[in-house]
Amino acid sequence: MAAAGPQADDAILVVDDIVVRYETAEGPITAVDNVSFKVRPGEFLSVIGPSGCGKSTLFNVIGGLLSHHQGVVSVAGETISGPHKSIGMVFQEESTFPWRTVIDNVALPLELIGMAKAKRAERARHFIGMVGLNGFENRYPGELSGGMRQRVSLARTLASEPKILLMDEPFAALDEQTRLLLGDKVLQIQQQLKQTTLLITHNITEAVQMSDRILVMTYRPGKTKRIVDIDLPRPRTSEIVSSGAFGGYVAEIWNDLREEASRGMRDEEDHVLHHEGGSS
Amino acid sequence: MAETGRLTKAAVAAPVISPVTLLRLAIILTVLAIWEFLSHSGWLYRDVVPSLLAIGRALYQLLSAPDYYFNLGVTAAEIGAALAIGGLSGLAVGILLGANRFLSRAFESYIYYLGPTPKIIFFPIMIMWFGVGPESKVALGTLSCFFPVALSVAAGMRQIDKVLIRVGNSFRANSWQMVTKIYLPAMRHPIVNGARLGLGVALIGTLLAETKLSNKGIGFLIINAYSTFDMPRMYANLIVLFVLAIGANALVGRLGGLHSIKRL
Amino acid sequence: MTAAAPARRAPPGNFAAAAVGLGALAAFLLAVEILIQTGVVSRFIVPPPSEIIGSFSRVIVEEHVFSRFLLTLTECLTAGMMLTVFGVAGGVLMHRFKLLQQACETWVAAMASAPIVLMYPLFLVIFGRNAWTIIMMGFFAALPPVILKTIEGIAGTRKVLVNVGRSFNLNATQQFWKILFPAALPTIFVGLRLGLIFALINIVGVEFLINFGGLGQLINELAERYDLAGTYAAICFVILVSIVFFVALEKTERWLRPVD
Repeated sequence: MAAAGPQADDAILVVDDIVVRYETAEGPITAVDNVSFKVRPGEFLSVIGPSGCGKSTLFNVIGGLLSHHQGVVSVAGETISGPHKSIGMVFQEESTFPWRTVIDNVALPLELIGMAKAKRAERARHFIGMVGLNGFENRYPGELSGGMRQRVSLARTLASEPKILLMDEPFAALDEQTRLLLGDKVLQIQQQLKQTTLLITHNITEAVQMSDRILVMTYRPGKTKRIVDIDLPRPRTSEIVSSGAFGGYVAEIWNDLREEASRGMRDEEDHVLHHEGGSS
Repeated sequence: MAETGRLTKAAVAAPVISPVTLLRLAIILTVLAIWEFLSHSGWLYRDVVPSLLAIGRALYQLLSAPDYYFNLGVTAAEIGAALAIGGLSGLAVGILLGANRFLSRAFESYIYYLGPTPKIIFFPIMIMWFGVGPESKVALGTLSCFFPVALSVAAGMRQIDKVLIRVGNSFRANSWQMVTKIYLPAMRHPIVNGARLGLGVALIGTLLAETKLSNKGIGFLIINAYSTFDMPRMYANLIVLFVLAIGANALVGRLGGLHSIKRL
Repeated sequence: MTAAAPARRAPPGNFAAAAVGLGALAAFLLAVEILIQTGVVSRFIVPPPSEIIGSFSRVIVEEHVFSRFLLTLTECLTAGMMLTVFGVAGGVLMHRFKLLQQACETWVAAMASAPIVLMYPLFLVIFGRNAWTIIMMGFFAALPPVILKTIEGIAGTRKVLVNVGRSFNLNATQQFWKILFPAALPTIFVGLRLGLIFALINIVGVEFLINFGGLGQLINELAERYDLAGTYAAICFVILVSIVFFVALEKTERWLRPVD
């Protein structure tokens, strides 16, 4: 089922046998079912799956925001039991603080650990430059575009210098062209920092473009369907989307996903038919 | 933003006074004219509608007497204290209830249903507990002010974009950091609206209490004018009070960054 | 609010929460009772809850609470009817004549934040010490929110509905009665509910202050007679009435507006 992964001794993130179940009015649901994988330092791993496969749940478990689960997540040998300073999270929704300027947003994690003001500003500027937003330090998020705001969120998370960057569909709300260009930016940063990155996404092109390996999940209950090694040369840019090998990987993964996505659609239709008056 | 293709209109001489201002002036002048007519007509019991001149004179006398400012100070201090105590406790309770779903379900309905009761009826109790001095007025004002602030803040807490709270949690902010760096800034609008409502009801509660039982303060001045049937003085007091109350409300709104008093 | 949420049928958490709330209230009353019986708190400042509860029946019978309640209710309904007619008409007029709206809406909004009830001595002089002072006070204090909500409701009609009317070539009057006004009704009801609540608050308050009328006057009288337990009981009764009134208004509004 799983392709060969890294050896236990050189993994920085170990996700071991995660099971997440919760009660709903219609009975217990298993969102994530025995998912296990390991991530090497500096690796870019994507987790891809159809809607309803539990990947956002997995994101919250690894990030420490959801503790109601079985199984263990550990970073560099240390078990996670809550948000951990080695894991930086970038959320899917708009998450910049609208009342703070860009530089104050990016400096937030440094402020929380009590860093002095002058040093914070300097560090924040460094990461603002890294995402390409020099000159926008004193603007408010309301003045920026959606893509720029996501860059601010990214800079903010990078400013906390996490060992592992954990991102939940950060580009889902953006248009395709912006997404591709931001993807380039993220890759560039990841290359530069040798940042271990775990990306949750539903977008196959994005996953193949950015990742060293891709973990394909099944529809609920979410299990590991396959782990695919992406053997495309680095450094990569968005130009790679037109190569033949790229297309091959996409087709392969879509094959896996199509089946899961169809199951998902049928399940939703069933749900509406059999639960009249359930949704509003 | 492109200007190309827009037909440029021939410059029209803008009216010196806008129609809106003209209408407002017309309305004001008509009302004043009717007023003055009624005042001299003898139709109504004497002095129920005093002449504008009499009211003007009373206004002048009122504002030039140092006595007035003393009373204004007393009332302002009472309202300030009520707003501080009621507002801060309302804020604290609102944050608690908004943050914790269980506490909210257990206790918030009490506050919600007690909110629309007229607080002045509690005044006899406040007098028993705090005496006849300014403390009972402050107590009534605090009681009035607490409810809208608590409810507004609790609702505001629940409307905070959940992702902002998750950001705070993901950076392991402690409770104090969560309150000062996330909850309060994110709730600026509900807090200001709650403060305006709180100011309004604290003002009313305190003043009504003063009219009921007091020997100082603006409320006392109003009821005193009534009991001596000095109508021009009562009108003068009411006019100044209304100007101050509306001004204070607008000021709080402006300070809080809301630019329209049309928001209820 | 379109998440596929399971039908909300009293989730188990609610009972526990309600129990805790009621339990805390009962515990509080018990604590007060004990503090007074043991003399820590003087019974001449706070009568024991048991005594207050005991005086309920006495107050209800001897003080003709029911007829007082009817009087207050009548005052409220009269004010309410005046509000419906003049408040809604005022809002409609202001919407119809844009210039009027631009000139006066800010004034009405300012009035909403002004302490109108403090003019009660003035109303006493004008109307005398009778029910009309009370009714007019309730009316004027509640007028601004009704007008403002009416304007908001009519102006807030979704553009697409207006365009439907235009596509059928409706004239202004038809547009108003067939589209704008019906679309505005939910918001107008919200305004009327707010207005009725303001009216009740001011009516009971003024009854208390001028010592005339129904329930508000009862509290004042009992307080002046130093009937402590009776005063507390009467206050509890007024709170109860206002809660029932409030809930009844909410239910009526929900019944009239099943959507949303």
